[in-house]
Amino acid sequence: MKLERITIENFRQYCGKQRVEFAKDDQKRVTVIHGINGAGKTSFFLSINWCLYGKSVENIKVIDNVGELMSKEAVNLAAVGETIRTSVDLSFLHNGDRYLVKRILHGVKQEDGTVRVEDTDTFTMMRTKADGQAERVNNPIGTMNSILPANVREYFLFDGEKIDNFAKPEAAAQVKQAIYLVLKLEILERARRHLEGLASDYRRELKNKSGQQLRDLLEQEEHARTEIKKAKERAIELHEEIESAERKIADIDKRLREMENTNILQQQRDRIEKELKQRRIEMEEIVNSVRDLATAGYFVVAEEPIKKAIQLLEDKRARGEIPSDYRQQFIKDLISKMVCVCGRPFTDGSEEHRTLLAKISHGLPDALQDEVLNTCAVLHAFEQRTEKHRAEVDAFMRRRSELIDIIRSLEAELDDVSRQLKGSPLEEISRLERQRENFKTDIQENNIEIGSLHTRIDDFTRKLTDLKKEIDRARRDEKRETLLSTKLDLAQRSTDAIGEMYQTFADDMREKIQDKTKEIFKKLVWKESHFQDVKLGPDFNLEVIDRYGYSARPELSAGERQVLSLSFIMAMSRISDEEAPLVMDTPFGRLSSHHRNAISEHLPVLASQLVLFVTDEELRDEARQNLEARIGAEYRLEFNSKTSCTEIIPLR
Amino acid sequence: MQKERLNNLFETFDPAIRNIILGVLDIEQEHISMERPRVKDQIDEIVTAAAKKEVERLSVEEPS
Repeated sequence: MKLERITIENFRQYCGKQRVEFAKDDQKRVTVIHGINGAGKTSFFLSINWCLYGKSVENIKVIDNVGELMSKEAVNLAAVGETIRTSVDLSFLHNGDRYLVKRILHGVKQEDGTVRVEDTDTFTMMRTKADGQAERVNNPIGTMNSILPANVREYFLFDGEKIDNFAKPEAAAQVKQAIYLVLKLEILERARRHLEGLASDYRRELKNKSGQQLRDLLEQEEHARTEIKKAKERAIELHEEIESAERKIADIDKRLREMENTNILQQQRDRIEKELKQRRIEMEEIVNSVRDLATAGYFVVAEEPIKKAIQLLEDKRARGEIPSDYRQQFIKDLISKMVCVCGRPFTDGSEEHRTLLAKISHGLPDALQDEVLNTCAVLHAFEQRTEKHRAEVDAFMRRRSELIDIIRSLEAELDDVSRQLKGSPLEEISRLERQRENFKTDIQENNIEIGSLHTRIDDFTRKLTDLKKEIDRARRDEKRETLLSTKLDLAQRSTDAIGEMYQTFADDMREKIQDKTKEIFKKLVWKESHFQDVKLGPDFNLEVIDRYGYSARPELSAGERQVLSLSFIMAMSRISDEEAPLVMDTPFGRLSSHHRNAISEHLPVLASQLVLFVTDEELRDEARQNLEARIGAEYRLEFNSKTSCTEIIPLR
Repeated sequence: MQKERLNNLFETFDPAIRNIILGVLDIEQEHISMERPRVKDQIDEIVTAAAKKEVERLSVEEPS
């Protein structure tokens, strides 16, 4: 991040619109903004913070206890009801893109001179890519978090008077937090924690599912298919046995037909069997017809309501509440011709005339009359159809009863023939007939078994259909399960990978910061020979070791603590390689000239961009000379006591 | 930059793992100013996308 320009409008004591261009060249990277106490240095510093982060981001306070942000002079100059606008525009470069961020706050002047300020400000971020394409950034807070998060900003945009915080003995937690945030250990730690949480969720979800279900279903499917196959094979066997038995019966019949003693009986049996076969076919046709009639005879159920409806209409017609079968137009024509329905003329006021007039007076509109007539016709048709249907069913049922009797009689005749043959004194005839009867019994038993097998096949086929649906569902679940299992594996391995690298990385970063802090501190502090070492232990305590090997931090002066803090911040900046500006409000206030000179000499080299808000006393003599060659922009803040406003005067 | 350093940190790991970690780090960075960011769904999306690719890759390599 490299600041380019800021435009401040009606922000605290900056009335109207004022602009500052920041120095950003590699050679001249220092911007100095001079101002005596109360001239507006802190307000300017706050305007940068407010523009980037507002008053707060989440629960991180950015601007606190600083009074009104809106320029009092702008409010004073505004008319009652006029809208006053406070805004800060900041342009900066980051990773080759140019960003323009703008924060605006509106307020309306009230009659009592106060201003009613909007509850929330408006924050907009535009990005211009290297090819000149400009776009609005949809997630400005997320983008700012990627560039310079609000909780990291205080290490780059800081108040010089609070700079010694890191060097205080109790500051280990702050030091640790700074390292975690600036060197991205915090995001590593959070990533590990969140991935681990997600892996636990996946594991829990996976436990609730089980691949056993699909395996069970597939086993059931296999079993059903095997059973169907076995049943079909058995049915084929039985059919073959039936055919064989029928062939043997045919052979016996042929033999009995050829034998003189059995010839007549066998022919009788042939005839009876032929007729029996025909009757059974007829019986089957009748059963099918009755079934068809039963399926198509749904309207029979409505027989009673139809009869009631017809009766109701007849009663109403008899009472004259609905028209008779005569259409109104027909009656009107008769009246106009003064002719009766039978063709006989009648006179005005006669019996016929009065009857026809009564029919007209009880008449309904033609359309409704048509509806009533149609309904009557439909109901009558239904009544007739029901009667016809009933008659057909009755006829079939009568024939069925007849056939049952015929079949029984024929079967009895067959039994009689068989009995005669079995009882024949000739052994061969008797034996043949018993064999025949056994074959017949086998056929019957086989047919029963075939029927049972078909039922079994139908049951398993239905089960297969249901199983197929369940298997499809289980397969879909298993696919999800495979995905879930892979997700768990990846999340867990990612967690482990971060865990594996985290400590090494954290130790490496800590040691690098320790070495860099020591290097910078030794350059900046004037008692460099007294302070032998700087240590940043695993507990994140920032220690300065004196030449006797003792911890020197409790004895550090306020200036030395400031130098140590600054060294630590610069070390983080250098180690993180983040191109962030160093914006310091009154950085040299507590420093003696030795430290001031050393910092002014080294700071411009260490920071990629430096913005200093200084009093005249802070930057003079050698310190000023040290910075001189690096200053690319210089301004003076002039406070106008008549308007209580500050004007930004460009000096360079 | 620190981001590149993090990228390099995981370069020896399986590309699928590296991509997940870098994606999650970007999300965490975007929400770094929040104390309790709600990032679970976004991280799940990253892991799910990686898992789908992995399942697809395995089904091509080991057709059943």
